[in-house]
Amino acid sequence: MIPLKYNIRSLRTRWVSSLMTIIGTALVVWAVVLTFGLADGLDHTLEVSGEPLDLIVMRKGATAETNSIINESTAREMAALDGIASDAAGNKLCSPELVVVVNTARRAGDTNANMILRGVTPAAKEVRSNFHIVAGRENKPGVREAIASTQMANRFKGAGLDEELDVFGAPFKIVGLFEAGHSATESEVWTDLEVLGQTTKREGVRSAIQLRANSADDAQRMADRISSDEQFGLSALSEPVYFAEQAKSSRGIKAIGVFIAVILSIGAVFAVANTMYAAVASRAREIGTLRALGFNRRTILISFLLESLALCLAGGLLGCLAALPLNGMSTGTANWVTFSELAFTFRFGPTVQILAVSLVVVVGVIGGLFPALRATRMKIVDALREV
Amino acid sequence: MPAGSERAVVELRGVSKEYMRDKIRVPVLSNTNLDIPHGDFVAVMGPSGSGKSTLLNLAAGLDRPTTGTVTVAGTELNQLSESKLTRWRSQHLGFIFQLYNLMPVLTAFENVELPLLLTSLSRRQRAEHVETALRIVGLQERMDHFPRQLSGGQEQRVAIARALVNDPVLLLADEPTGNLDAAAAQEIMDLLQQLNEEFEKTIVMVTHDPRAARRARRMLHLEKGTFVETELDALEAAG
Ligand SMILES: Nc1ncnc2c1ncn2[C@@H]1O[C@H](COP(=O)(O)OP(=O)(O)OP(=O)(O)O)[C@@H](O)[C@H]1O
Ligand SMILES: [Mg+2]
Repeated sequence: MIPLKYNIRSLRTRWVSSLMTIIGTALVVWAVVLTFGLADGLDHTLEVSGEPLDLIVMRKGATAETNSIINESTAREMAALDGIASDAAGNKLCSPELVVVVNTARRAGDTNANMILRGVTPAAKEVRSNFHIVAGRENKPGVREAIASTQMANRFKGAGLDEELDVFGAPFKIVGLFEAGHSATESEVWTDLEVLGQTTKREGVRSAIQLRANSADDAQRMADRISSDEQFGLSALSEPVYFAEQAKSSRGIKAIGVFIAVILSIGAVFAVANTMYAAVASRAREIGTLRALGFNRRTILISFLLESLALCLAGGLLGCLAALPLNGMSTGTANWVTFSELAFTFRFGPTVQILAVSLVVVVGVIGGLFPALRATRMKIVDALREV
Repeated sequence: MPAGSERAVVELRGVSKEYMRDKIRVPVLSNTNLDIPHGDFVAVMGPSGSGKSTLLNLAAGLDRPTTGTVTVAGTELNQLSESKLTRWRSQHLGFIFQLYNLMPVLTAFENVELPLLLTSLSRRQRAEHVETALRIVGLQERMDHFPRQLSGGQEQRVAIARALVNDPVLLLADEPTGNLDAAAAQEIMDLLQQLNEEFEKTIVMVTHDPRAARRARRMLHLEKGTFVETELDALEAAG
């Protein structure tokens, strides 16, 4: 083995071109980490939102709660189904909910976005794991009070604690903030079911009903029962299936990510190849000497590949470091199923880390391969004649 | 001593070498025979372009003859595959170049250590060998210096330490004093002479410098691809 310090110090000697290449690679890694980190965060949000034992009941043909209507009496029949789990106090885990989309001003910039306002009963938080109040208190039934997720509080005007949210002209006081394990629920503001119905003139209307089954078997049986009954005119989906459908929202980001990754990586490969060709050319006599001393072609190949990899790894590290401050930072996108803002956090998780490392390795190896091959193909006597 | 030692260390039989330049054959060496016995110190002289470096490269297994056989230390080099030849070089030869050919980013110590990285020696053993070699050339104090921190003469001494460190049977030097002033050249020749006399290293040295050549035991004159053996006295008489 030719010692790695030979390569590292050689890179340092040619520090200007090395640094340019490192910065170039860093930019590529940064951009890729950023886009895939966003897509990963979005996927993660939708993934943790789905609980296997939970059913979402909507009108047949509806693709989202926002375009589903169920009347009050049908909703009540749902609560009487067999197989629904109960909470500690013996209440059925059956949550009738009304979803209203409110166009609201964002805090940042002068734009508006659709915000989901959900009218709920106390059962709603029981069918959502990790739901908890982090500031203030729960809203009281029968009055215009609401609770917002911390993410929504940060993103929308009027959604902060003690602020007033305008719902079609009616002010709702925000009395508490909640979190819900980074799930899609964190993209919502909640209020009392009946109050929301009155305010929006939809008394007795439900958008969807969430049920928690006793077991997977019960979930399946209930879903079949609900979907097959013509009189209900409803369909029941398991939550993971429902959210998997919404995960299509991340496809756009991923497509952009792939596009950026491919285009920029090609650029990076050329930059690395260029730097390495120059390195090989300027070190011809050193290469000839190493070969004369007894280092074989393979050793030379590996040495220059490692040099190229070192260059790219340094770039990758820099790119990841530059992306790190974004970790956990929240942002939002339009959910293409509900057409409302879906908040999620950038995730520098294992998926993205593996992606970044593979990218760096691929760019380093491809970019370094041809220059390294050139180094091995040099005739020793010719290389030694170079000045 | 093994049977091979009775034979010459370097043995050229009917060696010729041609280069192709723009589809024209350029003959450099023609039907050359040469025997260099163990312990010899040969200076190869001759006009520029006469094929001195080519001869050295053939003896080193860095290049292959067009016809003929090159046998070094009992091994016929033509018989070896390229990778075997590479390995063989690291075990049997030491190279000294006109421009020293040290790795500029490695210290004197690290440069001298290079050939030992191809052996199975431990780190500790390598360090001992390197220190011994640097002591022989008188540079043990400068082992942490980089080539740019050394004078030309010192650089060449580091290169000689590198050539010595794996205890080769044959040292090949192509104009080792070509880039040095008279004083530094004298030091290098003192060292080579010492290696030949004290350590019994067989040395083949190409040089343009008659004063350097005079330090060898024997001088060969290469003229248009063939040898003319010259007595040192004759050279001296010629000036
Ligand atoms: N790789 C090569 N390809 C083509 N021609 C070559 C090659 N190597 C050497 N030659 C030619 O072979 C001839 C002998 O070259 P060589 O380097 O052996 O000469 P030399 O005696 O060492 O000369 P100098 O004293 O200038 O170093 C020259 O004409 C040279 O141009
Ligand atoms: Mg020459």
